[in-house]
Amino acid sequence: MRPRRLSSMKTSYAHDLRLFPTAWKRIGLVLLLAVVVLVPLYVKDVFWLNLLVIAGIYAVAAIGLNLLTGYAGQVSLGTAFFIGLGGYTVVWFADPTRWGWPLWGWLPMAALIGALVGAAVGPIALRVRGQYLVIVTLGLVVVGQYLFRNTESVTGGNNATIEATHNLVAIGPVNFADLQLFGFVFKKEAGFVYLAWIVVLITALIAKNLVRTRPGRAIQAIRDRDVAAEVIGVSLVRYKIGAFAVSSAMAAVAGALLASYTRFISVDSLDIFLSIQFLAIIIVGGVGTIYGAVLGAVALQAIPEFINRFSDSLPYVATGTGESGISVASLNSAIFGILIIVFLIFFPHGLAALWERTKAFFQRWPYRT
Amino acid sequence: MTTPQSTTPTATSDQDEPRLSVSGVTLRFGGLVALDDVSFDVHAGELFAIIGPNGAGKTSIFNCLNQVYKPQEGDIRLDGEQVMGKKPAKTAAMGMARTFQNLGLFVRLNVVDNLMLGRHHLMRTGFLAGMLWVGKAKREEIANRRRVEEIIELLELQQHRYQPVGLLPYGIQKRIELGRALAMEPRVLLLDEPVAGMNLEETEDMARYILEIRNELGITQIMVEHDMHLVMDIADRVMAIDFGREIATGSPEEVQNDEKVIEAYLGQET
Ligand SMILES: Nc1ncnc2c1ncn2[C@@H]1O[C@H](COP(=O)(O)OP(=O)(O)OP(=O)(O)O)[C@@H](O)[C@H]1O
Ligand SMILES: [Mg+2]
Repeated sequence: MRPRRLSSMKTSYAHDLRLFPTAWKRIGLVLLLAVVVLVPLYVKDVFWLNLLVIAGIYAVAAIGLNLLTGYAGQVSLGTAFFIGLGGYTVVWFADPTRWGWPLWGWLPMAALIGALVGAAVGPIALRVRGQYLVIVTLGLVVVGQYLFRNTESVTGGNNATIEATHNLVAIGPVNFADLQLFGFVFKKEAGFVYLAWIVVLITALIAKNLVRTRPGRAIQAIRDRDVAAEVIGVSLVRYKIGAFAVSSAMAAVAGALLASYTRFISVDSLDIFLSIQFLAIIIVGGVGTIYGAVLGAVALQAIPEFINRFSDSLPYVATGTGESGISVASLNSAIFGILIIVFLIFFPHGLAALWERTKAFFQRWPYRT
Repeated sequence: MTTPQSTTPTATSDQDEPRLSVSGVTLRFGGLVALDDVSFDVHAGELFAIIGPNGAGKTSIFNCLNQVYKPQEGDIRLDGEQVMGKKPAKTAAMGMARTFQNLGLFVRLNVVDNLMLGRHHLMRTGFLAGMLWVGKAKREEIANRRRVEEIIELLELQQHRYQPVGLLPYGIQKRIELGRALAMEPRVLLLDEPVAGMNLEETEDMARYILEIRNELGITQIMVEHDMHLVMDIADRVMAIDFGREIATGSPEEVQNDEKVIEAYLGQET
C-alpha cells in the first residue's frame, strides 16, 4: 500500500471540497479542454465540428437527466418534452420577428421555463415511482408533441424555423455564429463548439456543486432510503420536485441551444426515441457520475454520425430512398437499444467505471493484485 | 445557528419536567392493537431501555415518537412541546433522532455524506445557493463538516470516511448509523436494537460508545434491545412491554425480577 492513499489520513476539509481533488481528474479536464479548444482552431471538416457541437449540447441534457435518474433515483423518459420546451423558448423569445432577445436573455429564460414546468410536473413523481413514473413521463412526451403541434401561434407548428439573425448567439461583440478571434476566422459550427462546451462546463460545475452540498445529498438520500431520509428531516416533496426542476431546466437549455444551432425544430423529432437516447447516454456513460454523462454523450453521438457518414460502405444499410436494406435511422435505434441492454447487463456502471478501473490498474502498476 | 454544539444536559434529576413524556398512546392497524395505552417518562440525560418479546411493539413506539406512525390516541411531548400530528421531518428538527432495527443508511453515499445528512435540519443551503456554491454555502459545509469529523473521531470511523457505507461490515454500519443520529444534535436519541447481530467484541464497543454518549455528551437515550446483559449493565431504567402493553417499569433489577416479565419471556421460550 502506498501511504499517500491511506484513507485514514487526516485531510483538510478545504482540500476535500476541491472540485478536482486528484491529479487524474485534473488531467482528464485538461485533455477535454484541449480537445474542445483546439479542434475548432485546426479542424475544418464540418463533420467533426458538428459532432462536437451536438455531443456538447446533448451532454448538457444528459447531465440533467443523470441528476434526476442517477442521483435522485427517478427514471424519466420526459427529456424530449423539455428539450422541445427549450427549443420553443428560442422560437418565441429569440426570433427577430417575435421578441428578438439576445443569447443572455433567451438562454436563462429557457432554464427558467424548464425549471418552472419541471416543478409543475414534479408532483407526479411524488405519487408514482419506478416503472409507473417511466410511463407517466412517457405520456408527457406524447401530450407535449400534441401541444407543440396544436399551438402553432406560439411554437410555429410542425416544422418551426428561426430566422437567421446577427445577434441570435452573440454576447456583446462575441458572436458565436461568426466568430473571429486572434486572427482566426471560425465557421459557424466551430463557433458553436465553443458556445456548447462553455455551457457544458457551466452545467457540470453547477451539477457538481449541487451534489456536494446539502440539497444534492438530500436527493441522494431519498434515492437510497426514503423513510430514513424523512426521519432525519429531509422533505420528500421539496427535494423530489427540486430534482425534477433542475433536471428539466438543463434539458431545456440543451433544447434552446439545439434550436439556435439548427434554427429548425420538427415536432416529430421530439419523440420517445429522443428520450431513450438520453437514457442510453447516461447508462453507457455511467449512472450517478457527472463526467459519465459527458462521456456517454460523446460516445453515443459519435455512433450515429459515423453510421450516417459511412453508410455507403456499410453492408445492408440503405443510403437513399428506395434502396433496399435497413435505414440509417432504424439502425441507430437498434444500436441504442442493444447498447442499453449490453451496458445494463455487462457494464452496469458504464464507461465512467471502466475508466476508474483502468486508472486503478495504472495506479497499482507494476504491482498486480 | 449552525455552529457545532453538543447538547449539554441542564437537568438530570427528576424533579423537573421530563425530557420526553408519553401518555396513553394507542396504535391500531385495522383490528390489530400494536400499542395499548402506553405511558412513560424519560428524563434528561437518562439511558432508558425498552424490552419485550418479538412483536411486542417496541419498534412501533419509536415509529410513533417520530410520527412515522400516527397513533390514534395519546399524547407525546418533547420538553413540553407537542409531537403528535407533526411530520416525521419536523420531529427531526425538534430533536428526535433514531437508528433503525434493520439499518436505515444511505448505502451508496460514503460515511461523511451520511453523517452530513444527519445535520440536514441544522443547515440552510437550498438548491440555488448550493449549485452556485456561494460563500454562505461553503462556510456552512465547512462548519458542519468540522462537527462531523468530531463524531467520526468519537466513533473511530476515520479509516472508513470515504467508503460507500453499503460496502462496509454490518457492525461498522450500525456504528455509522449511530453517528448519523448523533450528528443531528438530538434531544432524544432512539436506538433500535443497537447490538443486534453483533459479536461480543462489537457489542462491547457499542456499549462503550453508548455510555460515552451519556456520560460525556449527556444525551438522553432510549434503547430497544434484546440483549439482556447489555440492558442490565448499562440502562438507568427499564420498561418491559408485551402485546403492546406496558407490564413493568423500574430499575433493571426490579424489572428483571418482575413476575410478569419473567412470564412474558418464558412464554416466548417455549
Ligand atoms: N406497518 C404495520 N402494519 C401492520 N402491522 C404492523 C405494522 N408495524 C408493526 N405492526 C405490527 O405491530 C406489532 C408490533 O410490531 P413491532 O415491530 O413494534 O414489534 P417489536 O417489538 O419491535 O418486535 P421485534 O422485537 O421483532 O423487533 C406486530 O404485531 C407487528 O406485526
Ligand atoms: Mg422491532
